[in-house]
Amino acid sequence: MTAPVEIERPEAAELPKADVPWVTVVWNDPVNLMSYVTYVFQAYFAYPKTKAEKLMLDVHEKGKAIVSSGTREEMERDVEAMHSYGLWATLQKAGDRV
Amino acid sequence: MGHAAEGGGPSLSTAFRRARGGVVAASFHVVEVELLRSLVGQLLELVREDPADLTAGDRWAAELGLADDAASRPTDPVLLRLFPDGYREDSEAASDFRRFTERGLRDRKAATAATVLASLATADGAGPPAKSREKIRIELDQDESEAWLRTLTDLRLALGTRLGVAESDEDDWLSLDENDPRRHVHDVYDWLGWVQETLVRTLSSALD
Repeated sequence: MTAPVEIERPEAAELPKADVPWVTVVWNDPVNLMSYVTYVFQAYFAYPKTKAEKLMLDVHEKGKAIVSSGTREEMERDVEAMHSYGLWATLQKAGDRV
Repeated sequence: MGHAAEGGGPSLSTAFRRARGGVVAASFHVVEVELLRSLVGQLLELVREDPADLTAGDRWAAELGLADDAASRPTDPVLLRLFPDGYREDSEAASDFRRFTERGLRDRKAATAATVLASLATADGAGPPAKSREKIRIELDQDESEAWLRTLTDLRLALGTRLGVAESDEDDWLSLDENDPRRHVHDVYDWLGWVQETLVRTLSSALD
C-alpha cells in the first residue's frame, strides 16, 4: 500500500489568478459573409439580433470586436467554437491592447 | 467581410427557402451537384490530411499534449486560415492551444463535410438516375443545414485564400481575361457565397 504523502500547501502568491478575466476577439476577414457572422453570434452566443448585428458591424468596420469575456478556459472554448464556424478569433487577457 | 454578389451571377440553381416539414430546400443543376461533390471531397481530404501521419500511439500522445509534432503550425496558408492561431502575441500559448484543439477541429470539419456529401448523395439516390439538364432538389434538416453553412464557409475560406481575395476587390476579378483560370475559380467562389447567403437568410429568419 502507498503511504500517505504530506501535501505542501502552495503559498498564496503561487495560486493561479483564476479571477483575471479574458476576452474573445473576432477579427475581420475578406471572405466571411456579414449575414453569416451575424448568424454565428446569434446561434452560438444566443445574442439577440441587434447585439449580433452591432458586433458584426464592429468587426467589419473597426477590424475586430470583443465578442465574449470570462475565464481563460471559457474563452478557449469560445475561440475553438469560432474556428469551427470558420471565423478568425483569438483570446487574450481583458485590458490587454486589442 | 465578404458579401454575396447581387443575384448570384449566372446560376442555374434555385435559392434555399423554407419548405414543408421544417426543412429547407433548394434546387441545383446536376452539374452544380457534381461541382459541390468534388469540392467537398477535396475539402475532406485537406482537413483529414495529416502531415505527421500519426500512428495510434502518436495520436494518444498528442491527445495528452505530449507530442510536439502534432502541434506544428501549418505552413499552407489555407490550413492556417482553417486552423488559425488562438493567441496573437504568445506563440507558446498558441502552440499549446493548437495541440489541444486542432485534432478535434479537423475531425469536426471532416465530419461536417461528410454530412454534406451524404446529403448530396441521397438527393439523386432517391429518384430515377439524373439526366443532364435535370434539376436536383436538395432538402436539409436543421443539422444538415448547419453542416452546409460550415462547409460552405470552409470551401470559401479555402478558395478565397488560394485566390488571394481581398475586401472590395470585385471589379479586379471581373476585369480578368475570360480565359484566366482564376476568373473561373472566382466565379465558383461567388456562386458558393450566393448559395450560402440564401441558406443563412432562410435559417436566420427562424432565430429572430
